[in-house]
Amino acid sequence: MQKAISKQHNKPAFIRKFQSALEHGDRVWIGLNIAMSVIVVAIMVLIGILLWNQSAVSRQQIGLSFLSPFAAPTWDPVNNTYNTWSFIYGTLITSLVAIVIAVPLSIGIAIFLSELCPPWLRAPLSMLVELLSAIPSVVYGLWGIFVFLPAVITPVGIFLGDALGSIPLLGGFFAGPIAASGSSRLAAGIILAIMIIPTIAAVSRDVFLAIPSSQREASLALGATRWETIGRVLVPYGTSGILGAVILGLGRALGETMAVTMVIGNSLNSSISLLKPGYTMSSLIANQFAESVNALNTSALIEVALVLFLMTLALNIIARLLVWRVSRRFPAEART
Amino acid sequence: MAAMFPAAASTKKAKYISSRKGFVRRRSVNALMLVLTGAVTLLALIPLFWIIGYVLLKGGQYINIDFFTQLPRPAGIPGGGVLNAIEGTIMLTIVAGVIAIPIGSLSAFYAAYHPNTPLGIALRFGTDVLAGIPSIVVGIFGYALVVRPTGHFSLLAGGIAMAIIMLPTTIRTTEEMIKLVPTNLREGSLALGSSEWKTAFKVTFPAALSGIVTGFLLSLARASGETAPLLFTALGNTNFDIARLINGGIASGQSVIAIIGNILLQPTDSLALTLFKYSQDPSIDRINQSWAVAFVLLLLILVINIIARAWVESRAAKLRG
Amino acid sequence: MHSNRLTIVSILAIAAILLAACAPSTGTPAGTSAPASVQINGAGSTFAQPVYDAWIYAYQSVDPSVTLNYQGTGSGAGITAILDNTIDFAGSDALLTAAQYTQGKDLQMYPIMAGAIVPIYNITFNGTPPANKPLILNGKTLAGIYNATITMWNDPAILALNPDLASFLPAAKITAVHRSDGSGTTQLFTLALSAFSSSWTAGSGTSIQWPVDTAGNGIGGKGNPGVAAAVQNTPNSIGYVEFSYAISNKIAFASMINQAGILVVASADTLASAMNDFATNFNDKLTNTIVDAPGQTSWPIAGYTYIILHTSSSTDCTKELKLLQFINWALTSPTAAQIATNLGFATLPGSVQPTVLTALGQVTCNGQPVLK
Repeated sequence: MQKAISKQHNKPAFIRKFQSALEHGDRVWIGLNIAMSVIVVAIMVLIGILLWNQSAVSRQQIGLSFLSPFAAPTWDPVNNTYNTWSFIYGTLITSLVAIVIAVPLSIGIAIFLSELCPPWLRAPLSMLVELLSAIPSVVYGLWGIFVFLPAVITPVGIFLGDALGSIPLLGGFFAGPIAASGSSRLAAGIILAIMIIPTIAAVSRDVFLAIPSSQREASLALGATRWETIGRVLVPYGTSGILGAVILGLGRALGETMAVTMVIGNSLNSSISLLKPGYTMSSLIANQFAESVNALNTSALIEVALVLFLMTLALNIIARLLVWRVSRRFPAEART
Repeated sequence: MAAMFPAAASTKKAKYISSRKGFVRRRSVNALMLVLTGAVTLLALIPLFWIIGYVLLKGGQYINIDFFTQLPRPAGIPGGGVLNAIEGTIMLTIVAGVIAIPIGSLSAFYAAYHPNTPLGIALRFGTDVLAGIPSIVVGIFGYALVVRPTGHFSLLAGGIAMAIIMLPTTIRTTEEMIKLVPTNLREGSLALGSSEWKTAFKVTFPAALSGIVTGFLLSLARASGETAPLLFTALGNTNFDIARLINGGIASGQSVIAIIGNILLQPTDSLALTLFKYSQDPSIDRINQSWAVAFVLLLLILVINIIARAWVESRAAKLRG
Repeated sequence: MHSNRLTIVSILAIAAILLAACAPSTGTPAGTSAPASVQINGAGSTFAQPVYDAWIYAYQSVDPSVTLNYQGTGSGAGITAILDNTIDFAGSDALLTAAQYTQGKDLQMYPIMAGAIVPIYNITFNGTPPANKPLILNGKTLAGIYNATITMWNDPAILALNPDLASFLPAAKITAVHRSDGSGTTQLFTLALSAFSSSWTAGSGTSIQWPVDTAGNGIGGKGNPGVAAAVQNTPNSIGYVEFSYAISNKIAFASMINQAGILVVASADTLASAMNDFATNFNDKLTNTIVDAPGQTSWPIAGYTYIILHTSSSTDCTKELKLLQFINWALTSPTAAQIATNLGFATLPGSVQPTVLTALGQVTCNGQPVLK
């Protein structure tokens, strides 16, 4: 110790100062924490500001007609006329298909995992479902192009076109024929469904697990079967939480890029049909951002990104509010 | 329960419920639905096994030594590998990690201990928003923030974009792990006169370390599969070869800093980026190689995920006591 | 005491790594005067990419001290990148616009070689059609397909051109594949369609709005490879790619009836014929269009591919020298010429090559000519 102290004295003053600052370095520590937190918040703000600023040319020159659903679909860099509605439509319709397929399946999975599954099976099954979300988007795309589309989408598309294509009103969504490769909005929607199932299922499962056991016990004691308990007690109880889960999944579907680009066909298209190739906002950006030919084109693409950003932002806020409301309602009695 | 058996329900319904026939019917609906949810769960797992099985069987055929040690050959010349993409993925994750770990873990400490301050609320909101931002938008951000000003599609730009993708997961897992560390441990340390930061480093951090590491691994797995943020930042580089860059730098007498700088400013490939490009290629060699890349990528990500999730579970169980 | 020091050391180490990571972004440009490892980045045209890839591969043994990197991102991206100074040279089949010349200040296009665009197809025939009878199209029919006025493979216009295939062509919808990204290939192709048919009103450009898309029968593929792959994956589709993509991947490509009314097959000869039809048409920007050539044996959809350089703003003279040496090698070496010909490209005509070499000699770095 003696040695250490003398050594201490031999050190230059600034090192001693530094050491003593470390000894009582709470200010530095909390300062660092704050600084890093500020960086995280700043990144978010900066993304918004940057998208807003860099889309200025497009916002000023094209104005609101850029978003108009009533204008003719156009994305014409030669004549510099841009309207983003068909891409918004592509994004919304593929996400809608994904949600329609994924929600019932996910809720079924959540119910099975939280209420019915034997306990020893719960952890491995949950993990498998979550692994689905770990598979990279490009791998879904690769599998989609070469395996899933020819094997499933093309036959299903032909069937849907034949069966539903001639029904008035609804038929417009199933006007065929589907391209023989299967590239279509339907393909994108179904791949998206597979990709968002784990998100919705995992969050819904947590919602079910958070419902107090007293609710179940009361219902069962009254003579309800397990299914009746689930359908009439648990689902109504967890509705807002499940809604939050669905919105989270929707957010993921809206922003998904690579898998969609690889299977949707990348075609600007005035048809509303699911069986036709299309474009989503994100696949438009992925295809054309690096290749944009002039300032207005670039700016218009960034405005598309801005619209996408605002849509996912709004969804996230709604989802968090819902999930937060649920977790606040019954935190104490949560099962694990 | 009133909602379930409303008092106003007709006696007919009440009779039905209590009758033998109604009971059998209700029991069978119950059984049917229970089976159905199980079936749905299996249905959802079909794509998982289909993809993994197909990728492993198909991709495995095209894996060989060259695949890991050679640079790509021009289209039409068979053979070659994806060394550029393997090295690129490693470098991208290192750069992303160097940026995301300090920012992520330090802000997680703040989020865990000061959740209700204005900054804490903003931080939580920011984390949620970042988690929800489409990755393609992050790519545009990286382009505008780094590529334009520096004048290079680069490893650095790709790393920064990937770091932004990793931040939310890193922050959330770290925060959760910190919160799991028993308060009395921390209070004990503080009561003994230890400072906040020392407590953080000597008590909280070690206790939460394995959780933090797994959180980082999980976010790494997610980031290494991301393609969209790299399209306009790392761009791709079929000649990316670290050994050559280092040897070249040494041969021309560059300082270490200059060599690192040079590497950071190279356009870089990644496995996911290569997979995307090769899958859009008509050449059968390239398509086969894209399956092999999928094989490596999938294996990497699944192994990390399985280990990390198992670890988090056991660790969390331990900390909960 | 000991563990304290350890903490300090580790903090310092982290700080050092962070500094090292951040330092280069504020200073030192890439590849600062490093003779032993010059890294040159190029991007752009996927049209010319097979040749550039093969040239770069071969050039490694010519000059091992230089590492060339060429990314086939599409001509549009190449032009954007050279305008933003994010690459050292751009490959492009698209011509710079007046605005781009102004924005880029000292940009110059150098023709490197010419290539042909061929319509590729993937038809599920009824029965087995006679071998060695490729589909025959004329300009109007091709324009009609992309205009969505011809939508079926058994359309009378197609049947009339293909008496040998008439009974085999299916009553199936034509899926027309086009580029989803901005591209010089698209510019050449749409330029040709405009020349072929007065009913083609969608104009020409690196990225256009396709009438066939509006009709719901179009699919986009990224890059020449993406289009070729999409045609392969889509039965009863048609697409357009640079010739070598069709050859090297053994995709069926159509013959065309040219402006003179003669049936021609894409080849180095018919391409050279098209170049010769317009050999004297190079303007002062060294650019030239050769679509819809009038010659008897001329392939109708062809174009020059260019390298775009900054002519005077470079400050890294070693890099600039290496780059010009490479381009010089590509234009003059028999090896390079052989590589290009094997891939279905045609080298510059003798009347043009000296002009291009002279123009390359005028590139300066810090005010001094680079090539001496």
